[in-house]
Amino acid sequence: MNNLLKFAVGIFLTLAFAWLAFVVGARVQFGDLSPISESLDEDNEIPEDADLFPMPQPGLAELGSSEYLALGCSTCHTQQVRMVESGFDVERGWGKRPSMARDYIYQKHVMLGNTRIGPDLTNLGTRILDPEWLHKHLFEPQAVVPESVCPPSPFLYEQQEFSSDHTIDLFDEENNSSRHLIPSSRATRIVAYLQSLKQDYELPEMAFIEEPDAIDLEEISTSVSDLATNEMNLESSALPTWLSQQITSGKEIYSKALPGGGMCVACHQQNGQGLPGAFPPLAGSDWVLGDKERLIKISIHGLQGEIAVNGEKYVGVMQGFGQPLASPLDDQQIADVLTYIRNEWGNSVSSISPEEVKAVRDSEKDRELTSMWTAAELNNFDN
Amino acid sequence: MTEDKDKFHGNENMTDEELVEIHSKLNVEKHPPTKGFLSAPLIFVFVFGCLIFVCSIQLAHSTNQFQLHPPTDVVDLTDEEKEALRIERKFESGKKIFALRCASCHQANGLGIPGQYPPLDGSKWATSDPALVSYIILNGLKGEIVVKGEVYGTSAAVNMAAVPITDREIANVTTYVRQAWGNNSSEISTDEVVQFRQDTSAKQEQWTGDELVEMFPAVFTN
Amino acid sequence: MKENSEQIIDKSLKLAVCFFIASAGLWLLAAAFFAYIASAKLTDPFFLSSFELFTYGKIKLAQANAFVYGWGGNSIFAVTLWVVARLAQAEARGKVLLLFAGSIWNLAITFGLLGILDGHMTPHEMLEMPVEVWPALFLSYGIIATLIIVVHRSRRIKDTIAPQWFLLASLLWFPMLFLIAWNGLEIDAARGTVQSVLSMWFGQNVIWLWLTPVALGSAYYIIPAILGRPIDKYYLAVFGFWCIASLAPWSVVHHLEGGPVPMWIPAIGTVMSIAMIFPIAVASTNFHATAFQDINKVWNSLPLRFVIFGTLSYTVSSYIGVVFSLPAVAKITQFSIINEFHFNQRVYGFFSMIIFGMVYHMLPRITGKEIAKSAKSFHFWTSAFGVLVLLLAYLIGGLTHGVLAQQPSLDWASSVISSVKPYFLITEFAFIILAFSQLVFVINVWKAIIPSPFELLNKLSLIKKGAT
Repeated sequence: MNNLLKFAVGIFLTLAFAWLAFVVGARVQFGDLSPISESLDEDNEIPEDADLFPMPQPGLAELGSSEYLALGCSTCHTQQVRMVESGFDVERGWGKRPSMARDYIYQKHVMLGNTRIGPDLTNLGTRILDPEWLHKHLFEPQAVVPESVCPPSPFLYEQQEFSSDHTIDLFDEENNSSRHLIPSSRATRIVAYLQSLKQDYELPEMAFIEEPDAIDLEEISTSVSDLATNEMNLESSALPTWLSQQITSGKEIYSKALPGGGMCVACHQQNGQGLPGAFPPLAGSDWVLGDKERLIKISIHGLQGEIAVNGEKYVGVMQGFGQPLASPLDDQQIADVLTYIRNEWGNSVSSISPEEVKAVRDSEKDRELTSMWTAAELNNFDN
Repeated sequence: MTEDKDKFHGNENMTDEELVEIHSKLNVEKHPPTKGFLSAPLIFVFVFGCLIFVCSIQLAHSTNQFQLHPPTDVVDLTDEEKEALRIERKFESGKKIFALRCASCHQANGLGIPGQYPPLDGSKWATSDPALVSYIILNGLKGEIVVKGEVYGTSAAVNMAAVPITDREIANVTTYVRQAWGNNSSEISTDEVVQFRQDTSAKQEQWTGDELVEMFPAVFTN
Repeated sequence: MKENSEQIIDKSLKLAVCFFIASAGLWLLAAAFFAYIASAKLTDPFFLSSFELFTYGKIKLAQANAFVYGWGGNSIFAVTLWVVARLAQAEARGKVLLLFAGSIWNLAITFGLLGILDGHMTPHEMLEMPVEVWPALFLSYGIIATLIIVVHRSRRIKDTIAPQWFLLASLLWFPMLFLIAWNGLEIDAARGTVQSVLSMWFGQNVIWLWLTPVALGSAYYIIPAILGRPIDKYYLAVFGFWCIASLAPWSVVHHLEGGPVPMWIPAIGTVMSIAMIFPIAVASTNFHATAFQDINKVWNSLPLRFVIFGTLSYTVSSYIGVVFSLPAVAKITQFSIINEFHFNQRVYGFFSMIIFGMVYHMLPRITGKEIAKSAKSFHFWTSAFGVLVLLLAYLIGGLTHGVLAQQPSLDWASSVISSVKPYFLITEFAFIILAFSQLVFVINVWKAIIPSPFELLNKLSLIKKGAT
């Protein structure tokens, strides 16, 4: 210890052993991983024509990763899904499988992160499909997630007075006004980067964690909501934002399975015509276009028995969506889907707000949720 | 100035020179023999020994033989156990899908609603040929059918196909239906459903009950 | 004659040590400022949100870097230089060179922090300053370290003791770590998560092998010097030293538990963290067995009170750290704000408290001006209170965070983070107290440095240039 040189060599050695393991050893072991197919064939080789994963980041996304780094986002957001035995990440739906070293080989900046004040972003690209949502969140997180502690980045956007094709419209319920944002190229890059974040492929070393429930649900909801949003973008541009939002959401609920959907389409059909004898039409139906309260009641508690619609008789049973199925629809969802059916297939009448639904729900709170209405009952109320 | 400084020099209890001397001596000196043993080093040696023991066990268990990839199968199951586990997962998945997509009409108990929605529990339509139930889900069904002696769907049709469903989901939910409640039929694999989808891809219309009865004579003969 | 020799040594050190302490103080204030902004932004996301310069991520990194390199680096130079020279009984050499290198160090950090705030940071833990300033950091560090080693080499007594081991080891470890990281991250950059392993290894080792040994070495020096009695069970110290030296660099990677790296990396890290119980036990036995022989004197001497607060906090929270590295516990706490607890404990509760004690011990001897006891005492109570509140908030908040995050049914923003929000508010309060107490410290220090001989006034202009 008294000879400085020997001392220096000694402390260098203590460090060097760890260095050999964690730096040199790690590098030798997994410093040169290459992309691979999702699974290997019988001889443990990559099958011909198979897609190789991970794919390189698109150019815009790579630029975005530098912007993401420069804003310091990785201080609060991790990008790693932990092994199932070491954490809750897969359970929370942050990934279908734990992240592997191979997933990161193409990333210019590897930002695993170490603190989660915000959620993990490893698979953000599979969770959030809508770039507008990401833009809104970047501009002002609290506009889309009211409780968020994420600081806004208004400096990435220009604001203008009026809505146009290039703007993202942010509706503010309190002031009943909208802000119109023009994303800068930096914002576009960051959003491209965020959308590129996905580990939605399997690797030979790590398959998706078999949690059939979670996977199935996700697939059901994404596949349909994809369709719905794409179609919606084409129409209803003349409507006020809040109404078109309600209709978009309602359309999704109409044609989506539970949870979060009503699967109305299975009986009432895509064209709203229903099926003769059993499922009454919604298009042009007095029951839909008429008294709001009656419509809301049916949607909450359901309807059974004979009913006359547009002069035709129908006999059937419709379950209410307020009742405890796998996951009942909430006030907002019922309001959205009812607004949708009141404004589709040539229907065009006033919208229904969540407050109205709540009022009806409250007034009927003594009624058992499983007890369906009959047409006679409802018409008596009318009179 | 010097007086001022003296306040801070020399009033310590130990000057630096003494500090070095005393401690270097402590380092070299043998300890004066004490009665019995020095307890502190013994305790340290003991604790250290235990630590090394615990740590090596932990190391042996958790390093995964220094492999690059995590172990593929944490538990070694026999083929039968794996099969049982697979069926169980498929059944659970099917149950969930059923609750979301089917139960609002056919009811969670699979009994349907008399006169309106046919039962699945004990229904030949569900439990017989795998193709039959898969076809119905893939393309929908309209017109009258007879289930367990009752007539259903006087003129109704259900367009199940209007809400997209994957082959895997069909396989899982049909397997569930065929094995839930009192039913006890074979499972349906995803591959079979892929085949069924191909077979029926040309058909646009919903099936009618009669069509199906004709196609599957074996099911309805007795 | 001994007084004389110590006087001569102190006089030779005066310029350099005062410079380092003064600039360390300024960095401490800068870090406190950043820490406050960061914590305020967590409680109110709209605070300063329209300024791109002040995004939370940048401020947080600027705080850590200002703290570790600015305050930590400068105070390490001051303490190491003074203790090594005193124990070697040798005068300092190359005062001008020391000042020159010190100015470069401070300038490099200034530019580095500006780089971070401007968005030019690297993704590497504790190396976020832009690559362009690394050579300047390395060069100036090299000059200062060489000059300190020159002093050590000219020592009169050939035998070395514990404080010297710790201080010199830390002096040598940092450039080794820095070179390894530089090579692996920038010159011959590794791909994928190898980079993450290396950057985490470096980032944690800066705390464990650079800041920690300096604080431990200072405690090994100041406790016997003030109490006038040798370290109890001193024969354990050598063992403790080599334990830290050989275990710490292995233990730091346990933060990767469950991450996208081969399992052996976090597994070894976890095991070595558990083994760290031993060196922690050695150090705390040494310190506390000595200190508690004369507890009255410890209480009455403010420098020692600071140091013992630091060593106690080191012991307690290191054991807490061991518990949190166990896989079963890490599962809950791994990505929660417990990480903030660890960092702040180490830099505020342990390192800074001991350095405060050392500075209060050194400054009067160097400048010949006593610092008012009431001022020191005020500083002690405010910082002790601030640190305790801060650490408790992070500890309880971190547990809440971890436990709630584990329940997949709870929505992230509205349930998990909302429950942690009150703790953010407490930390904001604690950071205000800490900023205040650090201001008191800097005033104490500057009062001791400035009004003494006229030459110091000249130097002031130099210092200001270097530090801001």
